[in-house]
Amino acid sequence: MNRCTRSILVAVAVALLAVPAFADTLKVGVQAPITGSYANEGQGIENGVQLLAEQINAKGGVMGKKIEVIVCDDQGTAMAAAICAKDLVNKGVSMVIGSYTSTCAEAAQKTYFNAGVLQTSDGTADSLTEKGYWTFLRNSFPNSAEAAFVANYLVKVKKYKRIVVISDFSTYADGLANAAEAAIKELGGNLVSRDKIKADSQNFTPVLTNIKSKHPDAIFFAGYYSDGGQLRAQQMALGIKADFYGGDANDNPDFVKLAGSAAKGAFIVNVPSPDVLPYDIAKTFIADYQKKYGEMPPSIWGLMNIDGMRAIIHAMEQNNSFDTRKAVDYLHNMEKPLPGITGPIAFAKDGNRKGGAYVVKRVQDDGTYATEYVQ
Amino acid sequence: MDIFLQQLANGLTIGSMFALVALGYTMVYGVMRLINFAHGDMVAASAFVGLTIYTQVMGQATSLVAVIAIFLLAAVVMAIIGVILERLAYRPLREAPRLSAVVSALGASLIIQNGIMLIWGPRMRIFPELVPQVYWDLGGVVISLIQVIILALSFFLMVGLYLFVEKTRMGAAIRASSIDQDAARLMGINVNSVIMLIFIIGSSLGAVGGLFIGLYYRGITFNMGWQYGLYAFIAAIIGGIGNIPGAMLGGMLLGLFNAFIAGYVSSTWADAFTFILLIVILIVRPTGILGERVAEKV
Repeated sequence: MNRCTRSILVAVAVALLAVPAFADTLKVGVQAPITGSYANEGQGIENGVQLLAEQINAKGGVMGKKIEVIVCDDQGTAMAAAICAKDLVNKGVSMVIGSYTSTCAEAAQKTYFNAGVLQTSDGTADSLTEKGYWTFLRNSFPNSAEAAFVANYLVKVKKYKRIVVISDFSTYADGLANAAEAAIKELGGNLVSRDKIKADSQNFTPVLTNIKSKHPDAIFFAGYYSDGGQLRAQQMALGIKADFYGGDANDNPDFVKLAGSAAKGAFIVNVPSPDVLPYDIAKTFIADYQKKYGEMPPSIWGLMNIDGMRAIIHAMEQNNSFDTRKAVDYLHNMEKPLPGITGPIAFAKDGNRKGGAYVVKRVQDDGTYATEYVQ
Repeated sequence: MDIFLQQLANGLTIGSMFALVALGYTMVYGVMRLINFAHGDMVAASAFVGLTIYTQVMGQATSLVAVIAIFLLAAVVMAIIGVILERLAYRPLREAPRLSAVVSALGASLIIQNGIMLIWGPRMRIFPELVPQVYWDLGGVVISLIQVIILALSFFLMVGLYLFVEKTRMGAAIRASSIDQDAARLMGINVNSVIMLIFIIGSSLGAVGGLFIGLYYRGITFNMGWQYGLYAFIAAIIGGIGNIPGAMLGGMLLGLFNAFIAGYVSSTWADAFTFILLIVILIVRPTGILGERVAEKV
C-alpha cells in the first residue's frame, strides 16, 4: 500500500458470537490508531463508530441487542495491532472496525479470520484481499479502481490524444501507474510515454525534457506530493503545455506550496472529502457528527469504515441472525447496493468494495481546490 | 537539437550549484588536507536559515532588496557557523592523525543534520517563491529567470573567488598555505587566519548554493545535505581536489553529465553512471582533471 498517511485501514470486527445465548449486547470492536502519528484519523474512526452505535441503540439496537463498542489502540504499528486483535477477539467482539493503516489491518487479519470475526477496513493495499480471508471486507476502493477512473476520465471524458504516465519506483506508485497504463491502453487511449522518476531526487527536468519532445496533452503522475509539486513546477518551467493530473497521494497542501504559482490549473484525483459528499445520508450523518464532536470528520476514510459497519449490521438484520459467515455471504451476493455515506456499498466475492468514488479537483488561482468532476 | 540544448541549460544550472558547494570542499582540502564532510549539511542548514530569515527577520517580504538581504544574512550566519565548526571540531585535531579529523568531520555532519531536524522538524519545508516564475522560450529551449540568476551569480562569485585567490595578498597566503603550511608560517603567514578565512569563504559560497537549492527546487529537507554534499565532493575530485578552478569545472561537468545521462539513458541510472565516471577518472587521472601530479612526501 502507500505511505502511511494515505493508508487507512478500518477493520470491522466481526462478532462470531460463539455463545449467542449468553450475549446480551452486540460487541463491536474498534481497532484504530488512537495515539501516534495517525491519531487524528484513528480518533475519527472511534468517534464515528460511537456515534453510529448511539444512533442505532436509540432506535432499539440491532434485533433487540444494544451495541457495545470496545476500542483498542493499535498506535499505527503492526505489533500493537496484533495484540489488539487478540484482545478484541478475547473480549468476544463479532466485528472489528479499523484500522487506519493497511499495515495494521494486515497484521490483525489472520487472528480475526481464525476467530471468524468480521473485519472491515479502508486500507487500499491490494494484498489485503489477496489472502482469501472471508472475514475481511474492504470498505474503500483498491488502487486499481483509481487507475480505472483516471483512464476513463482521460480517455473518454476529456478525450486527450497524447497521454504520459509517470511514477516513482515505490510499490504503490508503480502499481497505480501500471494499472493506469493498462487501463488507458484498454480504452484505446494513446499513451506516448511511461516514465519513472527517482523519488526525492528533485531534478526532474531531464525526464521532462524528453517528455516535452513527445508533445503530450495530459500527464498523469502516480507518485507522492513531495515529488508531484516539483514535477508540476518544472513542467511549467519547461513550457510543457499539458494538463497535469496528480494521483491521490498528491492531495496534500504541500503540493500547492511546492509548485507555487505553477500549481494553478493542476488537477488532483482523489476520493471526495467529507464536505462534498452528495448523498443525503452523508449530510445527515456529518451534521450529527459535527453536533456531537464540534468538528468535521478528519477525512472520508473514517466514514468509509462507518459504511463498512453499517453494511455488516444491515446484513445481520436482513438475515435475522448474528452469524458472521451468513452476513458475509449476504454481502457478497447483495443484488442491490446499500446506500452509504460514501456512496453505494456492495462487495465482490473477494471482499473488495465494488465501484469507486473519485473526484477530480482543479487548483484555483488562490491555491484552493474546485471540484471539476465527480464519479 | 532542442532537447540537447535544453538538457545543456538544465545541466549548467545544477552544475553551477554543485560547483559552488564543491568549492567549499576543495578549499578546505587544499589547505588542511581534510575532507570536510560537514560541508553538505552546512549547505542544507543555510537553506533553512534562509527560510527563517525570510519568515522571522524579513517579515515575508518578497522584494528584490529582501532577497539580497536574505542571501547576505544567510551567508554571514553560515560563515560564523563555519568558523565555530572549525574551532570546535577541527582545530583541536590539527596535529592529530588525519583519520581522527575525518571522523570528527563525520560527527560534525551528524550533529548539524540532526540539529536541523530538531530545530526545523523532520518534514519537508517549503521555500517561498521569491523569484517570480518567468520563462523565455528561445526557439524551443526554455530558460527561466531563476536559471539565469543562478548561472549569473555563480559565474560572478567564481570569477571573483578566482581573482581573489590569484591576485591578492590574502589569496597568495591561501595558496602558500596549501603548498606547505610550515613554510608559509616561516614566511610570516598566520595559517590560523588563513584557515578561518577559507571556512568563511567556503561556508558563504555553500550558503549561496543552499539558497539556490531552496529557490530552484522549493522543497528542502533536513537530510538533503548528504545528497548535495556527495555530488559536490565528487565534483571536487573530478576537477582535482584542492584545485579551485578544478572544482568549478568539475561541478559543471558533473551537472552536464548527470543531465545528459538522465535525459538520454535513464534517470534511474544517472547516479550509477556518475559513480562510474568517478571511478574512471580516479583510475585514469587520480589527481583529477586539473589536479597537479605531485610526488607524495615521504
